[in-house]
Amino acid sequence: MRRTSGIAPVAVTAAGWHTCWVIDDAVSRRVFLAASGTAFASAWLAADADDLRASLAHAARAAGSDALLPWEALAPEQAADLEAIAAQIFPSDDTPGAREAHVVNFLDHSLATWAAPQREDLIRGLDELNAEAARRWPGASRFALLAPKRQLDLLRARDQTPFFQQMRFATLVGMFSLPSYGGNASKLGWQVIGFEDRYAWQPPFGDYDAEAAKDGR
Amino acid sequence: MDFIVVGSGAAGGIVAKELATAGHSVVVLEQGPRIEAEQFEHDEVKTLFQSALQNPPAGFTFRRTEADPARPGQIQLLYHRLVGGGSVMFTANYWRFREIDFVERSRLGAVPGTGLADWPIRYRDLEGYYTKAEWELGVSGVPGPFDPPRSRPYPLPPLPVKSSGVLFERGARALGLHPQPAPLCILSQPFHGRPACQHCGYCLGFGCEFRAKSSTLYTVIPTAEATGRCEVRPNCYVWKIDVDQRGRATGATYFDENKEERFQPARAVVVCCNGSETPRLLLLSTSNQFPNGLANSSGLVGKYLMFNGYSTASGVFERPLNEYKSVMVTRVLYDFYDSDPRRGFYGGGALDARAFVYPTMFALQGLPLDAPSWGAEYKRMLRDYYTRTMNVDGHSTSLPLETNTISLDPEVKDAWGLPAMRVTYKDHADDLAMMRFLQNKAIEVLEAAGARRTWGQPVQEATLAAHLLGTCRMGDDPRTSVVDRHHRAHDVRNLFICDGSSLVTGGRGQPTATIQALAYRAGEHIARFARRGEI
Repeated sequence: MRRTSGIAPVAVTAAGWHTCWVIDDAVSRRVFLAASGTAFASAWLAADADDLRASLAHAARAAGSDALLPWEALAPEQAADLEAIAAQIFPSDDTPGAREAHVVNFLDHSLATWAAPQREDLIRGLDELNAEAARRWPGASRFALLAPKRQLDLLRARDQTPFFQQMRFATLVGMFSLPSYGGNASKLGWQVIGFEDRYAWQPPFGDYDAEAAKDGR
Repeated sequence: MDFIVVGSGAAGGIVAKELATAGHSVVVLEQGPRIEAEQFEHDEVKTLFQSALQNPPAGFTFRRTEADPARPGQIQLLYHRLVGGGSVMFTANYWRFREIDFVERSRLGAVPGTGLADWPIRYRDLEGYYTKAEWELGVSGVPGPFDPPRSRPYPLPPLPVKSSGVLFERGARALGLHPQPAPLCILSQPFHGRPACQHCGYCLGFGCEFRAKSSTLYTVIPTAEATGRCEVRPNCYVWKIDVDQRGRATGATYFDENKEERFQPARAVVVCCNGSETPRLLLLSTSNQFPNGLANSSGLVGKYLMFNGYSTASGVFERPLNEYKSVMVTRVLYDFYDSDPRRGFYGGGALDARAFVYPTMFALQGLPLDAPSWGAEYKRMLRDYYTRTMNVDGHSTSLPLETNTISLDPEVKDAWGLPAMRVTYKDHADDLAMMRFLQNKAIEVLEAAGARRTWGQPVQEATLAAHLLGTCRMGDDPRTSVVDRHHRAHDVRNLFICDGSSLVTGGRGQPTATIQALAYRAGEHIARFARRGEI
């Protein structure tokens, strides 16, 4: 499924991937996550199981259709901005990035459903980002319309903000979670890193155990 | 009803099965829902981020010391509320304790300022029950050079080695260490009507859709139910053990799934809710006879909480390991199990070679701390590292400290209006020193294995706890322990407590085998007491 294309910038509001900047420093955050992963999820925890099921059903429906769907939580210009940010976080190069994996669909759909409580914060963060762009480059209107170099400069200067951390978290979840959530289209995210979602494997699993087996160990 | 068993996890499922097969009527009151194998999914969002198996019902608060204010969050207690409990989603490491774990206090002497104590039982008292657990549940492994004596071999051979295991062996052997296949509570071959592991890669944190992980959900609970004498009742939040004028337990009060209050009477109660929920339930169960909580004349209910030490190091190699396939751990080494005075601190532990590479989790935080976290270079590194990274983790002792506790928060309430759990925990300096020691060894092993780059997550005070131990410790003296050597509460003749809370010491980081051996032993003793009219 691909939504409206083109330049439609969008504005999402605060949706809830606030995750973990509640934990003060990056180190504790990472250690914490290393062991569980659940910390990041404080916002997700609020999700109601029925909402989640409903949203999965929606995504499944959408995936089966080529029709353009309206944005659920975002104005088109907000969607364009968020997609541009996601594309800087996980860029396209000789392999697909956030754009090809339709991460923006994940964002939009999440913000309309289980992440709705965070929409307001996110949109506020986006508005601030656009305001900063306008301060830096008089005449600039929206992030999505900035030259790529300027987009990068702006995000680099602000990548410790809660808004950016929220966007990083959501972009990567959209990139690598089940396609039924709206992103990771055609499992592109998984293909890019070399993960294959089979439910059954047989040894050898990797090069080193294959080599050991061959050597008769 | 003869028995209520509160909790259906690693311990509760076994106790229920032992009592039901001995001819008793049993009702198991489980806080969480019943989720069957076909409902488990490889869904990181739902399972890890939304805690679908943890079913967290309520907040809790945390503080490092009594002097600090207790606040929500800050630390995570990682346990799961569903039929089968933590045995459904654990990594399935299945290490026996050794003799030293039971007698370390008398072997080493006191560690000042701590509650390090000997157990009232020894390894030989548990050996038969470890064997019973391995053979009834289905455990895969092969004994190694430092293993404690065993009366039977493992019922199943080890799982196939992964690349992480091969590299771990290579590095460890180069350093003169003694790696061995990891014992796992996962089937390497079909066993008792269940299929062998399919190597799907989703063990830690996930339920096994193939039923190859030997959870109580797939083993003893169906056996108990097949007797026709055991009912497992999900979505029952027990919040009080009731007592009569004589101070005997009369049953349990719980909220059902509609938050309706219910009372279930029984002739005796067995509490198996884990090392955090068990003391909370006892502390909530106040009465005229027991104003400070049930079974708490010693004042030790909730005290001596132990998490086990944990540290982790990672290495990236030249070629793909594909650690996302198959079980988490295939090799372990126990060379550092014993405490060694020459290290200058108390503690012991072990290392294992493992994966933690679920795609979303790895993208979020699998790269070295100083790596870019977004952008083109981040993407390049992620593509390089995802299939080529492995971890070596350290698992180690926690000293029992009276100041590390589960208690009731005086202000914060849970979603049912009951006092929230309050966790107070500060790692002992020796525990942190042991974690650092093991992390340094882990890095040496990774380097000796040929890693092109290694990195460690800084060792720091606990921010997460998956093992909840020691809070109703076992002992012969009612003044210094909560339950006796048969898991009977010193203060209440028809109340038994068996789970991680019973442990006097926490072992070296993988307590499930010991919790389950204790549960088999407790179940047998409780059934014997019932038969003799001694309850």
